Amino acid sequence: MTALPRPLSEPLFRAGPAPLGWPRMVLSGWWYQLKMQAQSGFTVLVALIQPLIFASIAMADQQAGNRTLPLLYYALGAGIMGIWSTVVFGCGGALNWQRHQGMLEPLVIAPAPFVLVLLGITLGTASVGLYAMAATLLWGWLVFGAHLHFANLPAFALAVVATVVALGLLGLVLGSSFVLYRNSNALSNALEYPVWLVCGLLVPLSLLPGWTHPLAYVLAPTWGVEALRAAAIGGNPWLPLLWCGVASIAYLGLGVVLVRNVERLSRIHATLTFQ
Amino acid sequence: MSVASVRQEPRTGNFWRVFFVGGLISYRALFYWISPWQYIPTLLAAPLFQILFFVYLGRSVGVGSTNFFVVGNSIQVCSMSGIYGMTMALSNERFFQTLSPILATPANRISIFLGRGLPVVVTGIQTTAFGFLVSAFLLGFRPAPSELPALALTVLITAASCTGFGMALGSIGLRVRDVWVTANIAYFAMLLLCGVEVPLRRLPGALQALAHFLPLTHGIAAARLLASGHNVAAAWPDIGGECVVGVAWATAGFLLFRYFEGQGRRSGAFDRL
Repeated sequence: MTALPRPLSEPLFRAGPAPLGWPRMVLSGWWYQLKMQAQSGFTVLVALIQPLIFASIAMADQQAGNRTLPLLYYALGAGIMGIWSTVVFGCGGALNWQRHQGMLEPLVIAPAPFVLVLLGITLGTASVGLYAMAATLLWGWLVFGAHLHFANLPAFALAVVATVVALGLLGLVLGSSFVLYRNSNALSNALEYPVWLVCGLLVPLSLLPGWTHPLAYVLAPTWGVEALRAAAIGGNPWLPLLWCGVASIAYLGLGVVLVRNVERLSRIHATLTFQ
Repeated sequence: MSVASVRQEPRTGNFWRVFFVGGLISYRALFYWISPWQYIPTLLAAPLFQILFFVYLGRSVGVGSTNFFVVGNSIQVCSMSGIYGMTMALSNERFFQTLSPILATPANRISIFLGRGLPVVVTGIQTTAFGFLVSAFLLGFRPAPSELPALALTVLITAASCTGFGMALGSIGLRVRDVWVTANIAYFAMLLLCGVEVPLRRLPGALQALAHFLPLTHGIAAARLLASGHNVAAAWPDIGGECVVGVAWATAGFLLFRYFEGQGRRSGAFDRL
């Protein structure tokens, strides 16, 4: 008779990692996702090439036009557009992608809270969008001669982190909502432009109809881009940063509820692997 | 039994049957966006928001008129079907491992190749028509009624020209590993290069020259002339230019298709991924 690999006094399965292990788990998921996304051609497209094209369009139009917001305004907006694209495609389809890969069942039955697994994925995906931010700033400086002067550099760095976290948490909401929709990629296609428009990423909110403003206020990209612009161009970045934080907490709460609901329904109906 | 004895002489009836029926069947099988759940968000909602986004961007920077962006974007969205649709129609055969059986048939290659383009052209026209229609309701787009037939002809030719370009990309997809990235880059680059969002004269000289070899550039220029009240005579050079560009890309696509077919026969690797 061979010896048991572990003493019987130790539980075979734990109900979940200790609270101190949770950050480590999210961090591992984040790092793994970041490495995986860096290998994907689609990520290169969405996070690098597409934002550069949109930044070029906006800056070329700015130079041709007769109203002069600084080029940095458009470079930052195009950067956030890139982050949103990675979030809406990467996080929107995150659960469906795990299902497609045959990983959804193992992840759900693992002792670790599933919401933390998904959180690592969505934060990692949003972080990939930082490529877009760096790329559009460099592109604006090298090709269009944008003046890269940051009025408040620490606030700018903080705004970048807060925006990525907020969009990652919004990704958690999207991922757990889109799982109910079989054609999540089509929904992602349809959600790119409206959010770019409504959140004022390239077009000032004041030009949009008033009924769109409440929509803008509940979406984190609005506050993220406002904080970044205030920190870079000048203004008070702290109020938009505060709203970014409030939105993040709200998304986290909503995301937890939605993910638990998906888990519960899939256990009841035994439909985890079906679309 | 020799290969020649199996191969039958192509007949005209077979050509058109493969062209129409084969094209329709391949569209139903391979065009991923045919379901309403895909079609509505991707080919109706996304183009609508694209038009609104760029119209508002134009207003915010004070460049171009509303019609400049409405016409440019409404015409450009037909390339979504042309580029992605043809990429699906050709390279998905390889992805689904059905390329070998198709290329083992004696069917006329031109009818196989071009037949797949017809439903895609129709889809592109629908997308553009929807763009113009919602722009008329939401943005007050009002082209001169007398120029509508010429505008419709321009849309038809531009959709066909984009499909020709998509044929070339789809043929490349018979060999390269990830044709979707190439197709996406081409699609978004055309927004910048073809005078859709930025007046062509604002682009550097090399990019302006490149734009004349791409679909959309001449079609959009012709449509803008017609929408602004010029008669069809003024738009003919651009309509003709779009035709030439489309035929050139479709020919290049067919030659690539035949080249990769020959290469696949020699190496026995049609479906290699």
